[in-house]
Amino acid sequence: MEGIIAIWQRDVIKFFRDRARLIGSFAMPFMFLILFGSGMSGAMSSMMGGANQGPLADFDFVQFMFPGIIGMTVFNTAIFSALSVVQDKEFGYMREILVSPMSRVSIAIGKVLGGSTVALFQGLMMLIFVPFIGVSISFVMIFQLIPVMFLVAFALSSLGLLIASSLKTSQGFQMIIQILIFPMLFLSGALFPLSGMPAWMNFLVKINPLTYSVDMFKKIILQPDQMAPALREAMGLDLTVFNHIITFSEEIIVVALLSIIFVVLATMRFSRTEA
Amino acid sequence: MGNIVEVSGLKKRYKDFEAVKGVDLYVKEGEIFGFLGPNGAGKSTTINMLSTIIKPSEGMAKVNGYDNVTEKNKVRASIGLIFQESTLDEKLTANENLMLHCKFYGIEKQKREERIQEVLQIVDLTDRRSDIVETFSGGMKRRLEIARGLLHYPKVLFLDEPTVGLDPQTRAHIWEYILKLKEKAGITIFLTTHYMDEAEICDRVAVMDNGQLIALDTPEQLKSNVGGDIIEVSTEDNQTAKKIIEDTYQTEVTEMENNLLSFQVSKGSEFLVEFVKQFDIPLTSVNLRRPTLNDVFLHLTGREIREETVSQKDLMKKNMQRGPH
Repeated sequence: MEGIIAIWQRDVIKFFRDRARLIGSFAMPFMFLILFGSGMSGAMSSMMGGANQGPLADFDFVQFMFPGIIGMTVFNTAIFSALSVVQDKEFGYMREILVSPMSRVSIAIGKVLGGSTVALFQGLMMLIFVPFIGVSISFVMIFQLIPVMFLVAFALSSLGLLIASSLKTSQGFQMIIQILIFPMLFLSGALFPLSGMPAWMNFLVKINPLTYSVDMFKKIILQPDQMAPALREAMGLDLTVFNHIITFSEEIIVVALLSIIFVVLATMRFSRTEA
Repeated sequence: MGNIVEVSGLKKRYKDFEAVKGVDLYVKEGEIFGFLGPNGAGKSTTINMLSTIIKPSEGMAKVNGYDNVTEKNKVRASIGLIFQESTLDEKLTANENLMLHCKFYGIEKQKREERIQEVLQIVDLTDRRSDIVETFSGGMKRRLEIARGLLHYPKVLFLDEPTVGLDPQTRAHIWEYILKLKEKAGITIFLTTHYMDEAEICDRVAVMDNGQLIALDTPEQLKSNVGGDIIEVSTEDNQTAKKIIEDTYQTEVTEMENNLLSFQVSKGSEFLVEFVKQFDIPLTSVNLRRPTLNDVFLHLTGREIREETVSQKDLMKKNMQRGPH
């Protein structure tokens, strides 16, 4: 137990010490949200029937993107946190960890928890953008967001560790993660509404775990229950599988199950690591 | 005192290459045990097997009474390891590195502060405790690693080439610390080296070549086995001189680097007087000395221990690191 905390603590200390990484982590979300989002929002609203009245007049693309951007930050940070495992192999620290009497399982769990915590912090830091984009976030939402972010981060940190355990160079790791994360992000509804997609794409979206993760963030932040049905549909907020509208608790279950699968696989794979 | 390390028939095979070909040895509690041999001889592979990092292909090893394969975690708790390459987290402070180690090894909370102070004092780093390791010199990093290796009071401290890549002065310092450690903590030290002078400090030395132990004894005994004194001469015609010496004195002459011919005789100083008087080929230099461990290796293998060419060395290292995958 002590070992898990120690491994976790190391990642958290290093996260807060690395100022460049801390500041740099704002760059991508900023660009997406402010540059891409603001640029697209005009085009988006004219595509929505150019409506200056009716329910679609409330459509604000930047606000729509915001939960997705939080999601993107959490995914990226969480999955990239496993880079430290590869770097520890490269710089030798992994040996210090592996020759200690700690069990491999505690090391893997500590790493996943460390990555999840760091991703949670990064995700929460995105709330800094709130005043500039005109969404209103209540304390209740923040308290709902924290466990959801952590759960999502846990799933992706585990996936990251699973990949990192099989690799020896950080270049290789970064390459694979890029190839993996971009399509998952595009097919998750984080950056554009999931409405009117071709069937093949709809299929990919529905099997993408990030879809359900992003949708949880949307449900918390955008409060679709209080929207006009037409707006909700235009924003692609009625996520359905086999004509059944997925509920928030079902999404929690899906992501939790995936977390368990990923963390078990990652732990098994990591346990085979030799120093 | 009992044996803290026991090894029998230890082998490590990689796909097309046998790195360790059956090693038997024991190490007594409290001794400094040296592992001497050229790069690629299998020293690191052996030490990696003893410290549970890699799994032996055959044979058995026990450290502190625990089996290295079936009781890995108990072995790990009984040993300290200092690798050839640094394994510090350079982004953290010395204190954080040490504190993490305490937690990894489950050292009780109340004891941590005291232990950290103690080990920092041994290696003279008390005043650098809260500095980031990145700012340390090579020697300081090494010392910090030694300190860290001691934190959990290991029974055996394994040092793989502890002074490689350090300047002579720092090397001397590191050795001071190692000896201080043995005196103070009564700890058993198992080290590998290819520096002769370092092996001389050991209580017993195992000489390894090509994956096998070719000798194991105290440095004094090993040297006296060489037999007598070492004469080194250089002449204007080394080829002929070699033949003449071999024929006249019935001794084996080895050609060394720097154009030297080296051979052993039983009574060096008396021999030398006669030799210089009688020898026909003009001599350019003559030297008489007591045997060193390098001569022991030379005597046993007909080769000197020295840095192998880089490519060969790297090849061996790669083979060893890659092996189990």
